[in-house]
Amino acid sequence: MTILQGIHCPVERADFPLLARNPGLIYFDNAATAQKPACVLDAERAYYETANANVHRAAHRLAVAATEAFEGARATVARFLNATNPDEIVFTRGTTEAINLVAQSWGRAQLRAGDEILLTELDHHANIVPWQLLAQQTGAVIRAVRVLADGTLDLAHFHELLSPRTRLVGCTLASNAIGTMPPVAQIIAAAHAQGAKVLLDAAQAVAHQVVDVQKLGADFCVFSGHKVYGPTGIGALWCRCEILEAMPPWQGGGEMIDQVSFAGSTFAPAPTRFEAGTPPIAQAVGLAAALDWLMAQDRNAIALHENGLRDRLEAGLGAIPGVQVFGTAPDKVPLTAMTFTQAHPYDVAQFLDARDIAVRVGSHCAQPLLAALGVPALLRVSFAAYNTPEEVDRFLAALPEILELLA
Amino acid sequence: MTALNRETVANRLNAVVGWEGKSRLLVQLAQDLPAFPDAQRIDANRVAGCESRVWLLLDWQDGKLQMAATSDSRVVQGLLALVFACYHGQTAVDVLALDFEGWLTELGLSRFLSASRGSGLRAIVARIRNAALAVSIRPLT
Ligand SMILES: Cc1ncc(COP(=O)(O)O)c(C=O)c1O
Repeated sequence: MTILQGIHCPVERADFPLLARNPGLIYFDNAATAQKPACVLDAERAYYETANANVHRAAHRLAVAATEAFEGARATVARFLNATNPDEIVFTRGTTEAINLVAQSWGRAQLRAGDEILLTELDHHANIVPWQLLAQQTGAVIRAVRVLADGTLDLAHFHELLSPRTRLVGCTLASNAIGTMPPVAQIIAAAHAQGAKVLLDAAQAVAHQVVDVQKLGADFCVFSGHKVYGPTGIGALWCRCEILEAMPPWQGGGEMIDQVSFAGSTFAPAPTRFEAGTPPIAQAVGLAAALDWLMAQDRNAIALHENGLRDRLEAGLGAIPGVQVFGTAPDKVPLTAMTFTQAHPYDVAQFLDARDIAVRVGSHCAQPLLAALGVPALLRVSFAAYNTPEEVDRFLAALPEILELLA
Repeated sequence: MTALNRETVANRLNAVVGWEGKSRLLVQLAQDLPAFPDAQRIDANRVAGCESRVWLLLDWQDGKLQMAATSDSRVVQGLLALVFACYHGQTAVDVLALDFEGWLTELGLSRFLSASRGSGLRAIVARIRNAALAVSIRPLT
């Protein structure tokens, strides 16, 4: 617990070099990407300084060390997600690549014309566009579950759209734009009862709650390292063993093969089969450091703290005229989306930036959601463990001044 | 209400320091932009590539550019006032000779060019320059 000059949060702010270098900065853009603790940067540096070599070509001691570091990182990701086996983890560039992998490998092998892919209006473009490409390639049809005005999913509509034709349900664990956490347990059970597979986009969930793939019981689960205090350029797909083993490769190259001849090639077993070329080794090591760091924290305390910041913010916003909050679902990750009756959210964001308060503004890669909510752009405040009530109060003090300036 | 020309705008902007001060002044300059006809707030007059909605009308009278513009963002409206100060009433030859980005940089506003707003601003200036090119290059008939 940091208690330094009235700064209260459940992690050591001093452990985050960027925050330490920018003492006046209020970083409220954590849903876009989180700041990194020093141990993540140190782990990448230590890897390069002590073990750098290419992996899976272990003819010398460094190559052995690199391979151990990389495969150790895979085991850490497995532990983080409570997967039964590290072989269920495929490293990817992030959430986006992981979903494209599932669409192009599993989807192309499995889907036929007329099969249905059921998505939701809460989903990020990363969980929409790869399926649209697959639909074009296979003749499969995409259906989208509506959101209600409060930002919750219309479950009656979900049950209406779900049918034996549904082959895959893709659903986010939490909306990056408005925070809604849909009732995935119910969605997974209903989907499985119809014989459909379920992909969970955990990009916005992993930093804020324990994501246990065994407990969730879905078939695919994906996330990005950079949103969970880890490096960019690395993320992971978890996929149930039986499914992953049967999936064909989607990218070809080195590492992913067994035998290659011009007559044809045979492929390595999963997960290596899905990791063509030299992987992001240092980034995997950095990700493992981030996950180890997070698992060593009191995650309940972090969740309480972050949700407390959101509640404090939303209570304060309620007292400022001309602010409308979007997404009032009871289950939300710690973020708040808003618009202003008298001011453009981009203008508000600019004046916040002038006071060194960083927020995100725009359609948040969720254009279908914003269209459904009937709003062209949202200003989003999103929290991480190192944010503080004092920062929320500074935001709440700045906002009315800015709104008056823009009125 | 002050005249929107390069000299007065530059004087006012040079008198304030800091990002917030300059942003505040932009919001004030937005009010000096001549009113935009409501009937022209149509998609055909929208400039694509801006984060906020921007409408732009360009016309030539006696060889001088007549410009009208508006936005639903006050800050962008302020930037449009700068564009207006630069280009309104200029000949096509002068329009093509003007370096808007260079001028913004002189005014200490280059941050608007690097932010995501820059691409919208460039799209607006590109429209104006293309209009000037179109009238200065006479087709061979
Ligand atoms: C819910 C959700 N899904 C997917 C993504 C895409 O993640 P990435 O860009 O790291 O691949 C994001 C990132 O903004 C997200 O918030």
